[in-house]
Amino acid sequence: MDEKTRIKLVSQLMAVAGLFTLIVALLLLLNYLHVRYHDPLESVALTQLVEQFKSNPESETLIRDIRNLDLLARKAYFTSQWQIKTGAFLLLAGAIAFAVLLRIYHSLKARIGEPLISGGNLLLNRIVTQRWILSIGAILFIGAVIGSLVTVDYLDKYQKGELTGEVVAEAVTEETQSDVEVIDLIEQEEEIDSRNEVDPPTIDTIEHTNIETVAPIVEVADIPDQPTQPTEPLVGTAVSALPALNHVYFRGHLGQGISKAKNLPETWDGPSGRNIKWKAKIPKPGYNSPVIWGTKLFLAGADAQGRWVFCFDRLTGDLLWQAEANNIPGTPATAPKTTNDTGLSAPTLTVDNQRVYAIFGTGDLIALTHNGDRVWAKNLGVPDNHYGHSSSLIYFNQTLIVQYDTNKSGRLLGLNMANGETIWETVRKSKISWSSPILAEIDGKMQVITTSAPSVAGFDAQTGQELWSVDVLSGEVGPSAAFSNGIVYAANEYASLVAIRPGPNPEILWQQYDVLPETASPAVAQGLIFIATTYGVLGCFDAKTGDQYWEEEFGQGFYGSPMIADGKVYVMDRGGTMHIYKLDKTPVKLGSPVLGEKSVVTPAFTDGTIYLRGEQFLYCIAAN
Amino acid sequence: MDRKKFITNVGRYSILGALLFITGQIFFKRRVSASGQYVWQIDPMKCTQCGRCATECIKTPSAVKCVHAYDLCGYCDLCGGYFKPNTMDLNTGAENQLCPTGAIQRKFVEEPFFEYAIDEKLCNGCGKCVKGCTSFGNGSLHLQIRHDLCDNCNQCAIARVCPSDAIKRVPIENPYLIKGAFTS
Amino acid sequence: MNWLAGLIRSLMLLIVLLCASNHSYAQQRFPKPEFKTEYTQPVPEHPAPRSPALEFLDLAILVLVMSLTAWVAIRRRSRYGILILTIFSLFYFGFYKQGCICSVGSIQNVALALADPTYRLPLVALLVFLLPLIFSLFFGRVFCAAACPLGAIQDLIIFKPINLPVWLRKSLSILPWTYLGLAVLFATTGTDFIICRYDPFIGIYRLNGKFIMILLGIAFLLMGLFVARPYCRFICPYGALLSLTSRFSKWHLSIYPTSCVQCKLCTTACPFEAIDFPDSEQTKPEPRTQTRRFLTFAALIPVLIAVGMFIGSLSHVFLSRANSTVYLAELLIAHPELRSDPLNLDIQTFLASGQTLETLTEDAATIREKFRIGAMILGGFLGLVIGLTALNQLIFRRKEDYQANRADCYSCARCLDYCPVDKTIAHG
Repeated sequence: MDEKTRIKLVSQLMAVAGLFTLIVALLLLLNYLHVRYHDPLESVALTQLVEQFKSNPESETLIRDIRNLDLLARKAYFTSQWQIKTGAFLLLAGAIAFAVLLRIYHSLKARIGEPLISGGNLLLNRIVTQRWILSIGAILFIGAVIGSLVTVDYLDKYQKGELTGEVVAEAVTEETQSDVEVIDLIEQEEEIDSRNEVDPPTIDTIEHTNIETVAPIVEVADIPDQPTQPTEPLVGTAVSALPALNHVYFRGHLGQGISKAKNLPETWDGPSGRNIKWKAKIPKPGYNSPVIWGTKLFLAGADAQGRWVFCFDRLTGDLLWQAEANNIPGTPATAPKTTNDTGLSAPTLTVDNQRVYAIFGTGDLIALTHNGDRVWAKNLGVPDNHYGHSSSLIYFNQTLIVQYDTNKSGRLLGLNMANGETIWETVRKSKISWSSPILAEIDGKMQVITTSAPSVAGFDAQTGQELWSVDVLSGEVGPSAAFSNGIVYAANEYASLVAIRPGPNPEILWQQYDVLPETASPAVAQGLIFIATTYGVLGCFDAKTGDQYWEEEFGQGFYGSPMIADGKVYVMDRGGTMHIYKLDKTPVKLGSPVLGEKSVVTPAFTDGTIYLRGEQFLYCIAAN
Repeated sequence: MDRKKFITNVGRYSILGALLFITGQIFFKRRVSASGQYVWQIDPMKCTQCGRCATECIKTPSAVKCVHAYDLCGYCDLCGGYFKPNTMDLNTGAENQLCPTGAIQRKFVEEPFFEYAIDEKLCNGCGKCVKGCTSFGNGSLHLQIRHDLCDNCNQCAIARVCPSDAIKRVPIENPYLIKGAFTS
Repeated sequence: MNWLAGLIRSLMLLIVLLCASNHSYAQQRFPKPEFKTEYTQPVPEHPAPRSPALEFLDLAILVLVMSLTAWVAIRRRSRYGILILTIFSLFYFGFYKQGCICSVGSIQNVALALADPTYRLPLVALLVFLLPLIFSLFFGRVFCAAACPLGAIQDLIIFKPINLPVWLRKSLSILPWTYLGLAVLFATTGTDFIICRYDPFIGIYRLNGKFIMILLGIAFLLMGLFVARPYCRFICPYGALLSLTSRFSKWHLSIYPTSCVQCKLCTTACPFEAIDFPDSEQTKPEPRTQTRRFLTFAALIPVLIAVGMFIGSLSHVFLSRANSTVYLAELLIAHPELRSDPLNLDIQTFLASGQTLETLTEDAATIREKFRIGAMILGGFLGLVIGLTALNQLIFRRKEDYQANRADCYSCARCLDYCPVDKTIAHG
């Protein structure tokens, strides 16, 4: 073979190797781009199918489609992985072959080149070189100067206080706050209590229309120096107005797990209808408890399709109206994922003399009039909560208080009840929690008490300022706090039941580790604490020392919280059986009536009547 | 010629001196570990399962895989790592499985317990199951860098972008941070 | 027994709290079942990393390759030998070892070890950093010639090298020093290992990597067909160090075995234009003007350093943004609305960790202070490099023959093949 044919052969081989490499490279590139923009594991079609399947879990065709598509997606993923791996090897082999042939070709063709012609005037060349060196240096330096001129030193500004790093808060409504006089709650309460004692109102004695007119009159009368706007200032102040007729918070009076209702029934039977005054179907599922104002009873329900507030006539059980919480800016297109035992409507509503307020697992917060007309609505930001948001609402003195602990942050919000504007926001060092805030008067000041991991804390109910905090809880905190005789009680599974003396230097009085609740909150009265656990134990402890008086075990666990009312403890197990005990150091069982339906919801009380929410129905229970 | 040689010698030995000084500094401050090689590993206690391990590793698929600390496992029937949230039917159908590559095998042990095993060949380190297990279960599933796959880059590409700084250098003698093994 | 159970639980809780850091939920929600059937729990295997002993073997092979290269280049004078060694390195240090740890990257480990009291420098990394430098002090850049996998792949790909003008080569030689300075700055502040992150060839050796880096690698290789060793000459920070140390090498490769016959053939062989011409080929400047210029430039150097330091201290703000802590802090300050962006993982993780912006900004400020000092030193250093490179243009050494420029020569031995002076003389 002469040199020419050899060169020809090599150049042809080189062309083949080059072409091969190029084709493999192109295929790899295509594969890469395809996977990058259509990741089979993130298939949109598959996600859509799964979404459909969720709302239509019986569909066999959907199951089949999902399985087929999933198999295809995974096949596509692993095939493309294999292709990339093999392609890379082929590409490398092609490139090496090409490089080797290139070298051979080059050495075959190589001619010794012309020697470099040295550069004429050396000094001149070097001066040119010098200029270039300085120019490149200048370019570097000028680039750095420009770079530093266009950068803003945010860190410096922050430390000098020019920037706060906070979202500019909406206008704080100082004016609305100052319009309202702080009403001495306790005084008011006592007055009403005494009134009630004189004439204990029961469902039977008070007529339908009577209550609606009586309620406002009583309140106005209680507040002597009322400034302008006769109706407005009442909003949010009637914490305990007509305590025995209204049930405005989750877990009753101030959210503390006690109710002042009297003459409560102890026996009923759901299946036979004994002592069941009425029973009404609830249109949508939810785990919130009823709240009551006058003759109206409110609760909420939600599913993936929609979120609704329902109003029932509490005397007859008629569904008076229902209002959908929709068209709220910020609501996610698809509801966040929640577990079946939390759902999208776990938080209990709250109600004042003008409006009813509801919050849903989507972060939607809505205020409606007692007739179901929307006053305002907003979205607090979709809660990142792996079970679902469940913290109930409370209010105090015109301010709606929301405990909003998510996986992202722990926040306590105070909103203007008239328009939903944020009055204050307290960011707390807290992990996600599922507990609800309660109110308690401590040292003459109304405080909001929250439980979360790691702390039990008290906040000024007016300003949201943290007043005290004890790091004592851990895990996923569901139970809310309880309050009695100036002592705060909190508990959680895997942590402890703890008694805290609140104050600037809070003090842990005692801790107990044996009977601990997962979701049910403690209830305290007359020196006794009641704890209901998920595994079915109801325990009674001494509130002073934490010593156990007694415990009873049941086949069904407790999700709903125990309530103390009328000298009795009411606690509903998950099977729908109410366990009623005397408020006593020994276990005196007064009854265990059954609802005939599963229930995990804390009961609501008004004088003579208990309202219970089962899985499907709402029950009004009163002794005949 | 001698002058030039002298300058070269001076230059050479002063550079040697400088290198010696640097070495001395490192040794003097005890910042060298003689045998100590280091490898990268994920601290499962810090990991927040952001999903970057699957995408940021220089290897495709990632050298990060899910491992199972059986000691911590509750052998639940309803496994938060295996099933999508709100799964109705607890069976191995694709519509119920959380893992996008089907890398978790569910095996019946005895009523009501199930064993879950990871097929690392299929795992791409996305951490979806880890998130599920940590949120709803004991957190026995967790992510680890597998050292047969890891190239032990001088600077781990995932560590650079890990939002929770969970990836750190660990001594080669204990190259894994298996949950349970070092927590209790 | 209640108190005992309570004690045990509280102890367990304490242990859990002690062991668990911020965001762990270490509680065991579902206790491990007690199986009634015969069930043995599987024991997952955890594959061991590459043995540390092998790392020392690699080190030994590195020393061996460098020694052989020195011997082949200086004594044997064989391009063929260097080629074989280059191919060996390509496959061993490149495709087999897949890069890490390499001398180029080890600069950062050493810098970090000097700056960070918590970092422990592996001995191997220190030796990988030191050995090529020490070798170059005696034998020239033998590491670049055949041991470095990054050099190997570029050296083997050289096809038709074009001659770059002197001014371009010299002015671009500032870039490796800049890169070196930045790499040290980012390493000492614990920010990033940029040399490793932007290594264009590692992805090719691993047959895996970020798409953009593979593209960059291919681009460098394509450029390398015509511009010999573009990364080595105009980017590589370790090459910058070696070009300094190699100037003082005791035994350096020499083009001719005995004496130069001035045939100029070697100049056609060198793809790197690393051969200096003898004085006879060049016009010499007048000594007096030369001295004056020299003194002017020498006086300019302190000015350049001062300017550099000033500009460096200005630049520390944007340089420090490469640090994730500083970046996150500034992002949170400048765009607080991003707090509610569920897709911003860094912000969401930070918020979930329960840290306050206050502590974050304090950390960021500490890092930024390090950057301020570091960037000032870097600016001054660059001023010095620019000044010295420019000044170097005014130094004229007496040369009678064609000689390899010790700073630029990679000891690749191509020129040796071209030298017509009988090789037997050398061996004789």
